[in-house]
Amino acid sequence: METENQKFYLTKNGLEELKKEYNVLKSIRMQKTKGEAPNIWESEDLNPDYLSFREDLDLLETRLTELENVLKNSEIIKKPHGEEASKINLGAIVSVEVHGDTDEFVMVGTLEANPALGKISNQSPVGRALMGHRAGDEVIVSSPIKTCYKIKKVKYS
Amino acid sequence: MSSFIDFFHEVGKLKDTAGRGWILIGAENPASVTDHSFRMAIMAWFLGKKKKNINFEKAIKMALVHDLCELHAENLTPYDHGHLPKDKKDWPAAFDKLPRFSKSKKLENFLKKEKKEKKALLKITANMPGDLKKEIISLWQDYSKGSSREARFVRQINRLETLLQAFEYGKESECRPFNSWWIGSEEQIDDPVLIECMLQIAEKFYHDGKISKKKTKRKRTLKKK
Repeated sequence: METENQKFYLTKNGLEELKKEYNVLKSIRMQKTKGEAPNIWESEDLNPDYLSFREDLDLLETRLTELENVLKNSEIIKKPHGEEASKINLGAIVSVEVHGDTDEFVMVGTLEANPALGKISNQSPVGRALMGHRAGDEVIVSSPIKTCYKIKKVKYS
Repeated sequence: MSSFIDFFHEVGKLKDTAGRGWILIGAENPASVTDHSFRMAIMAWFLGKKKKNINFEKAIKMALVHDLCELHAENLTPYDHGHLPKDKKDWPAAFDKLPRFSKSKKLENFLKKEKKEKKALLKITANMPGDLKKEIISLWQDYSKGSSREARFVRQINRLETLLQAFEYGKESECRPFNSWWIGSEEQIDDPVLIECMLQIAEKFYHDGKISKKKTKRKRTLKKK
């Protein structure tokens, strides 16, 4: 979870999406200050994500400040080379077997984590336990229930 | 005022809407959506105080509205996506495993859920004054996407509250907490304050692989004033 001025590790796509959001919100603020109705407001269907920023300036400013902090302190996750490329680190796509079922995770920083989409935070108990391991390793996470993650494959895109 | 009363009446129905997961595991008195959201709001407040930069008001409101959509959107668990064995006898074993899906299925489930919930929320807030409608939708969207730090915090509290409830069921009945709740929490929770809370819940309720069995039967009763 983030604190002020901490480093945010983001995938290239994750960073691009945040930059896009930041630019859209900045244009909303600019047009709001000029008293114009931004084009982005014209259809709620087209831009539902920005619906909430239509009239709530506080919300807009809070989000802009948050994004500024993230963008200022962000670092793109780099693809490792050599020996390191076989180990689980940020950005790794990891195939695992858990209780006989296969699953695939992408190891991400806290900002991009979304387990429902298979994006596991490197700061979660499972993320922490898997970091640094490689294919063939069996990682047991036990606090208090023992769960064995058999690492099948580690790759980077 | 009339639209508020209609809204309050509708929201009240969540008091009788039991959490789907609790029905599946056969809990005697399954907690309702309201029970869950109320305790989440309390947890967001108290645990949020341990964080430096959490906007409590936003986090509490988010906890209160995050499941409003369940008035009209079907509440589905991951097991409902093809992971419920036909024979009920096999359900306990299934609940000890977290359902696993392919990358495309995860995305499909996520988008389907988001679409259904948004449609439900627009229906629920249709007659609300514009500012409140926007605030509710904005809080839900933020929560759903995990955009703000409050949203990421409250999403994890959602998981933590469910974990606590699962342990409580284990304490009050033969309905043990299934391992999937724990595994899911370990994959989802990454906030240090919430990880600490998660471990303390385990310490309090789970000793040497067994649930602490000091019975605290929970029943909905009328209290005389």
